[in-house]
Parts: sequence; C-alpha cells; structure tokens
Amino acid sequence: MTLLNYIVVNIIETLLRVLPIPCKKGMTKIGKPNRMSPVFLTCNYHLTVKRVKRTLHGIDCYLLVANSNGHNVWCGATGGHFTSHDVISVLKTSGIEKLVGHNNVILPQLAATGIEAKYIQKKTGWKVIWGPVYAKDIQAFIENNLKKTIEMREVRFSLVQRIEMAIMWAFPFSIIASLITIYFWLEVLLPLNELIWGLPFIIFVSFPFYSKWLNPKKKGIGFSKYTVIFDFARMPLILWGLSLFCLFGFSIMTNALSWEFIFRWGFLSFIVILIISLDLMGSTPILKSGLHEDRFLKVVLDERKCKGAGFCEQVCPKNCYEVNKKQHIATIPGAEKCVQCGACIVQCPFDALYFMSPKDERLPPATVRTFKLNLIGKRLKETEQNVRSLEEKVSFEGHQRIGHPR
Amino acid sequence: MKVLESAPDRYDAGIRILTLGKLDKAYDRLTSCIKSGQKVLDIGCGTGALTLRAAQKGASVKGIDVNVQMIEIAQKRAIKMKVAQNVEFCEMGVAELDSEKSENYDIVMSGLCFSELSEDELIYALKEVKRILKPKGLLLVADEARPDSLSKKMLNWLIKFPLVIITYILTQTTTKAVENLPETTEKAGFLIESVGLNKIGNFIELIGKKL
Repeated sequence: MTLLNYIVVNIIETLLRVLPIPCKKGMTKIGKPNRMSPVFLTCNYHLTVKRVKRTLHGIDCYLLVANSNGHNVWCGATGGHFTSHDVISVLKTSGIEKLVGHNNVILPQLAATGIEAKYIQKKTGWKVIWGPVYAKDIQAFIENNLKKTIEMREVRFSLVQRIEMAIMWAFPFSIIASLITIYFWLEVLLPLNELIWGLPFIIFVSFPFYSKWLNPKKKGIGFSKYTVIFDFARMPLILWGLSLFCLFGFSIMTNALSWEFIFRWGFLSFIVILIISLDLMGSTPILKSGLHEDRFLKVVLDERKCKGAGFCEQVCPKNCYEVNKKQHIATIPGAEKCVQCGACIVQCPFDALYFMSPKDERLPPATVRTFKLNLIGKRLKETEQNVRSLEEKVSFEGHQRIGHPR
Repeated sequence: MKVLESAPDRYDAGIRILTLGKLDKAYDRLTSCIKSGQKVLDIGCGTGALTLRAAQKGASVKGIDVNVQMIEIAQKRAIKMKVAQNVEFCEMGVAELDSEKSENYDIVMSGLCFSELSEDELIYALKEVKRILKPKGLLLVADEARPDSLSKKMLNWLIKFPLVIITYILTQTTTKAVENLPETTEKAGFLIESVGLNKIGNFIELIGKKL
C-alpha cells in the first residue's frame, strides 16, 4: 500500500514538476533515534521529503523539514526560497536541540548555493555537514563516517533525470495546447501533442550525443541583443531543421506536399521549440542559452585570500576544485565543467572567490550571498554602477583638490 | 527561471487580486492606533505595506523579512515616500528574534506573515514577541483565516479558487490561512483586545495586549 502510494505520488508530481508542491514543515523521527543519532535536514518540496524518508528507512535518525515554499533543494536554495533563515527556524523551533546531544546537522550538498553554513553556526551553534547530492547515497555516506566520495559530490544528468525533465516541460504545455486546440482546431490535437512530447524527449534524451558541441566559450555569430535569435544556431535551430526535414519526407511519402502544409507545421514546430528553449538556464541541458547575459560568468579564485580550507571542493557539484592541503591553496583545474551555481562563492569563509563577467564586471561574494542567482545580470550592472559612481566621486574629489589647471 | 526570479516585483499586484482590495483598508484600520514617536516592529514586512504606514505616522519602525528582494523594494518605496529616516529594514526570520532586546517595542505588527509559519514557529514567534514588547504593548495581526462553518468554507473556496489560479499564473504569489490564531495568541499569554472576522470568515484582524 505504501509502495503504491509512493509510485502514484512520484508519477503525479513528476508530471507537475514545474509547480512547487509544499508539505508539512517540522521534525519527524525515523526509526528509534537516540541522543547521538544523526540529524538530517531537507526542504519542504513534497516529492523530495517523500523520497528522502524512503531512503532513510532503516536508519535511526531525525529528519527536519525546513520551509522552501515547496521548491526543491537546488532551485529553492539558488532562487532564494530555501534560505539560512528557514534552516535556523526549524533548528530553533522544532525542539531538536533538546532531543540530541550533539549539534551536527546534515544538509543536502546542493543547498550550499543559498544556505550559509557560517551564518547558521553563528546564529544557532549548529555545525552544517554537507551531505551527498543524491538521497540514495545517504546510507553509504553514514557508513563512510559522514565523508563523501567524489562520486557522491557530483551532479550527473542521468537518463532517468533527463526523461523527468522532458516530462516536466511536455506535460503542462501539452495540457495548455490541448485545451486551446480542442475548441479551435481539433484535427491538430494529436499531431501537436506528439510534437510537444516528442521534441523535449529528443532534446533531453540525446543530450550526451550533442553536449560536447555546446561550447560555451565560442560566441557564435550573434552578440548582445541578437544572441536570442542567433543562439538558435546552436541546438534548437538544428532540431527545427530536423523536424522540417521530417515534415518534407512525410509529405512526399504521403503525397501531401504543399507549401501550406510545410508552413503550418513548420511554424507550429518552431513555436514548440521556442517555448521549450525559452528558459534554459539550469533547467535544461543546454546550459548557457542566449537568453541570459550571465551565461559567460566565470568563477575567479583570488590566490592571496585562499587558505586552502576546501569548502569549495566539498560543495562543488561538478568537482571542479582541487585542494592542496600541504600548500594550503585551492585550484580550479576543472573550470570548464563549472555550471555557475555559485555554491563555492557562497561557502568560502575567506571571500576568496567571486564571479566575473566577460566584460570584467565583478560580482562580489556578499552580493551572491544576499541575492543568490536571482536576476544576476541586473546585479552585475548595479555593482558596476556602484564602482563607477565611486570612481567618479573619487576622481571628482581629486579634481577639486588639484584645482583647475588654469 | 526568469519568471520566478522577478516574482517579488509582482507580489503587491498579486496580493491585491487575492484579497480583492480589502487588505489596504484592513491595514489602515490596524495601524490607526500607532502614534508618533512609538517604537514599532513589523514581522514579515515584505514590500513594506505595514511598515511604511506606521512610518508615515511618525513611528520609528523596524521591518524584518526573510526575502531580500522584497526588502529591496520596500527600501526603495521608503525613500520615495520620504520616510526612510524612520524605517530600518533587516533580513531576518522570526527564529532570529532572540537577538532583539527585551521590552524594546511599543507595538509589534504582522500582516500576512503568521500564516506562512508552521505551528512550532508561530508559538516561538509569539513567545519572543511577548518578551520584546514593553508592558501594555500591543500585538497587531492581519491575516488570511480559515472559515469555521462548512457553508462558509464552500463559499470561500468558490470565490478563492479562480483567484488563486489567476494570481499564481500572473504573479507566482499565493497566500495561506492561519489557524486558531486567537487561541494560540491567548495561550502565549496575551490579552485579546479585539478580534475581527469578515463576513465569509476568511480574513482576521486581531489586537492583543501584553499584560
């Protein structure tokens, strides 16, 4: 019965993946925990809690569910819905302090983009331990004395996850498209739905085959405002070409070749591709899409500030970092794998990391910690403005002091 | 997603649709007892609806919220309304109220925030509010409530459902309802001065007093 319930919840909430689905916050006991049992903390996205509880089955522990307004851990933390305040709140108000004799709390690693371990320790005395990325690794993580292996730290974009993403995009759009076409254009209902379901599946499932050609460093033909159009020269346009090719083939084979047919279906498939590629940052494999001015942000390490503490290495979901414990310095040999999640910048206790844009605009750690990645392009301009107005002020004062040359 | 990222900009519009405009009047009523020179704390200040009203009356107000983007908007509005010298905004959650001094405020108010808290959090918040209020200090709350009778519940649902859908699509904003607020407040040791419910019973205005 519980298994059936679990399967049904998984199916429904995978279909509705775009929507935040909150569940009850607070503390749950799992098994028979004692004063030394581990304390896990997660967000209040219903599906996440369901899955975490299932993997924790058999481990005597406490599970704290903190408010994230029903968003998942990575999106919630990076978008400012799952914050240090939410973690502090559940630690202080759930009564967990009285139940355990230690103060270590295990958080999912992906929460590191928005939750500041240092701030939580200062406010509550609880020490944050960054757990594995995937809940399924928790058992091994505990057996390994709360130490993560390299594999446990890495976000992979497995086939199952890619299929889930395809469903997440296809389902709501197919519902909306169906509701519209049922009234206006009934005969298009079935083929349109095939298109809406087919294209995301092609894009996501075939990702490993084309991802190596998606080089974020190559700027392509377009620039500035026009990148929106020209960036389609990357994947979506190729896909559109493919779908047009299939349309031609289909129409020739069925003897129905006409400009109207090609135009109508070409247009529809273009719209579908446009919608699917509309908001790609983070949510789809085509990572650095043209709609985002922040796509070329680079994480820069200030070697003078780095003391090799290794927090960056612990939270990087792409294993970009290498820490030399002897020389007390970190390096970023895997910089090209970076997904710009900002976790390392947020967690570095010495503020040794920051974002830099191709135009040499800097985004300091304080800004990333405050606003996470929300409207990061706007913040770039703002910090640049601040710097400029500061420079103007300084140069103005300088002029005053020197006086007019004449 | 870009849509969700810029959602705080559209929060006020969303709230206005959801509450059908009744919120402005409720906030005006609630803040009518605030006098110039008083020290006021606004819990969950959001874009500053209550904070700025109190500041306009000459009170010195501290607004706290966990959402920095909302605070940013509130700050801009305070400057626009020329009350910036009376207000202070702080990124802080209710669980961090323990950093506030005891018996420091004349009034603590909260609009559409208690409903966002879990039961544990609400009890904790009320305990802290009682501590930081001066003797005879007031607690002012305006929030969505849950109607008590079945017929009112049905009516509320019928009115609310389309509004919730439209508002979420347009502004990604939702509200929740606070349960048993008068009982919880009383249990926390406040004297209930007045409780006002609207006709459908989905909106509550409460004034509590610290003894």
